[in-house]
Amino acid sequence: MSEQRCRSLIPFIYIKQGVMIMRGKNSGLKSLGNQVFFTGPTLLFFCITLLIPFIYGLYLSFTNMTSPISPMEFAGLESYRTAFQDTKFWSAMWLTIKFVAATIILVNLIGFVLAYLVTSGMKGQNFFRAAFFTPNLIGGLVLGYIWQFIFVQSMPEIGQKLGIEILRLGWLGDEQLAFWALVIVTIWQSSGYLMIIFIAGLVSVPGDIIEASTLDGASTLRRLWSVVLPMMVPSFVVTVFLTLKNSFMVYDLNLSLTNGGPFDTTKMVSMHVVQKGLIESNYSVGQAQAIVLFVIVAIITGLQVYFSKKMEVEA
Amino acid sequence: MKKSVVLILTLVMVMVLAACGSNTNNNAGTANEGTATSGKTTIIITNGKGEIAAQWEQAAKDFMAENPDIIVEAHTQAVGDTLSVVDKLTASGKTITLAMVAPDTVNGKYKDFGIDLSGEAWVAETDHAFANEKGELVGFPFSIEGLGLVYNKKVVENAVGGEFDPFSINTRDKLVELLDKIKASGVEYPVAFQTEGWSVSNHYSTQFLNQNEDPSVTVNQLKSGELKLADNAAWNGYYDTLDVLVSQDYNKYGERPIGVYYDDAHVSVGNGTSAMLFNGNWAFDSLQAVAGEEFGFIPVPVDNNPENPLNNKIVAGPTNLLIINKDATAEQQAAAKKFLDWIVFSEKGQDFLVNQSQVISAFKNNSNKVTNPLGASIANAIEQGKTSNFALNYTTAEDWNTKISPEVQKYVAQKLSRAELATFIENYFTSLN
Repeated sequence: MSEQRCRSLIPFIYIKQGVMIMRGKNSGLKSLGNQVFFTGPTLLFFCITLLIPFIYGLYLSFTNMTSPISPMEFAGLESYRTAFQDTKFWSAMWLTIKFVAATIILVNLIGFVLAYLVTSGMKGQNFFRAAFFTPNLIGGLVLGYIWQFIFVQSMPEIGQKLGIEILRLGWLGDEQLAFWALVIVTIWQSSGYLMIIFIAGLVSVPGDIIEASTLDGASTLRRLWSVVLPMMVPSFVVTVFLTLKNSFMVYDLNLSLTNGGPFDTTKMVSMHVVQKGLIESNYSVGQAQAIVLFVIVAIITGLQVYFSKKMEVEA
Repeated sequence: MKKSVVLILTLVMVMVLAACGSNTNNNAGTANEGTATSGKTTIIITNGKGEIAAQWEQAAKDFMAENPDIIVEAHTQAVGDTLSVVDKLTASGKTITLAMVAPDTVNGKYKDFGIDLSGEAWVAETDHAFANEKGELVGFPFSIEGLGLVYNKKVVENAVGGEFDPFSINTRDKLVELLDKIKASGVEYPVAFQTEGWSVSNHYSTQFLNQNEDPSVTVNQLKSGELKLADNAAWNGYYDTLDVLVSQDYNKYGERPIGVYYDDAHVSVGNGTSAMLFNGNWAFDSLQAVAGEEFGFIPVPVDNNPENPLNNKIVAGPTNLLIINKDATAEQQAAAKKFLDWIVFSEKGQDFLVNQSQVISAFKNNSNKVTNPLGASIANAIEQGKTSNFALNYTTAEDWNTKISPEVQKYVAQKLSRAELATFIENYFTSLN
């Protein structure tokens, strides 16, 4: 709905600008001045921290540099050829896709359930909202080290005392369990954040249609499925996008929790790129792989936003 | 309309930034002249050990006070910086006179960097001056480090019932016997074996290279494909010993030997709930030992022959070298040599190296001792001549960490057979040709 309103505003602005420019040069300059004043600082920092490094990185991927300080010699698509032939890159990519799949489903599901619970009018729900959101305020690196302690020290201790076989040995030493350790920590970190977005979506579902569906005799589940969820699609567009992007680009948690171990079985694609580019002295190949990763993530998230937008309905 | 404004803004900004960029480059190009005016020589010295940044600068000041005709610019690489300070300064157009680098790089990245130092007076005072593959003595051994089985003296002495000499453990059977004794004394798991990649691969798995007096001989045999690991006694011997150390009988983490155990292993040995682990002198800080606890090194036994020199020596050698740039002027090189002499022969220099920086000295004339008991026991072994080479220095250290370590860890976790590991390492070396 708000989207619609925005769109209808745009021609109006254009007309206004047109009028301004027709009025005289001064007001055109003034409008430019306004634009620079309001968007300039953001644009400047966007350029410095994102756009320029990105274009520069793209350029570097066409060279054959081995380290950030080696001479820039143009080498065409050579780095991309090496990047595509790197089987470890693709296995890291596949692992990341599995991680993305697991986290998208679980984080959104748990985030939604939490949001549903803390908007249901239970006692102390504001406290729970704050409590579930707090993990998101802890940085990924710190979080990784905290959970490393839990997986390495606390859980085996509990497993030993209570005789729970699966907790008895450190999880981070087993390929499968280390992967799920990463998923669990991601859930713990991000589901509270998504919960906030879902809460905003849930409270904006119009009361009249809820009331109408109740009068029509819909059960709680039916109402959730046929009324609330379709109205929540805009929230899901945002949350799925966020989890997709964050999970594809995961690095800090990966580094601090498992550091790719045991024997490189939990090395996600970002970590592989960093290692390729900076540690193994294959700078341009690492750059090329980073660009490939960017393209893949851009396509997937683009498609996701495009198709899920189509699912939006209006009350 | 809007789009064109954005485009113009972007272009303007790109041009401004590009202009700034090229300006600084020009400045760097002109500002850099090796030797300064007024008869003084300026040298740039770089330090790769971030933890001794302050000491390094102080050393430069003290040296300048004694040598007023030399100006020393001291630089230090920050801890955790992936880009070496040597590369950064070189890329910005400066000529470094004296650089601190890892020993393996004088045969790799910096193979054309250093000048031959064999004529220097300090060479007579050390066994660890480092020669490159061409046989030129390019490396001044700045720091010595060593590794082996770090043991808790109290726990071991309690088990053997009296004085314990770590060099008495010179066969694998004697080590097993010792482990059994420690177990019998009430320590459930005598070993807390941490298996981080750099430890079990870079440090443990390169020990076999010492089977020739000069490890580079072994490396060359591997590169040519002449040495087959599957039936090499020393290579198998070290893994036989490893099998004992990580086994469920003795190892605290025996059921799942690969995991994140570094801190727990060190604390266990530090407080005496386990007796030993494999690591180097830097392990001391992680042991978190209370005052009065003593620690030392047992050499890792490779077989059951007590005469085998490998069983009687601790792996120790230079981990940082100082090399002098061949592109520096003759005056700068002379000034850098003077600085090296100052470290070795002057009282202030000796104090800087050992007391201030807590570095184990490679030089016999330096009577200072580090306070870290593990470092002191390496220093004693150096004095008694009971050290063998730090074999990792003769190969590419990075590759052991990124390429080989996952395979070694798989072997430890019993997901890879020893024959497969042998083939992998052989293939790695032959691929270097």
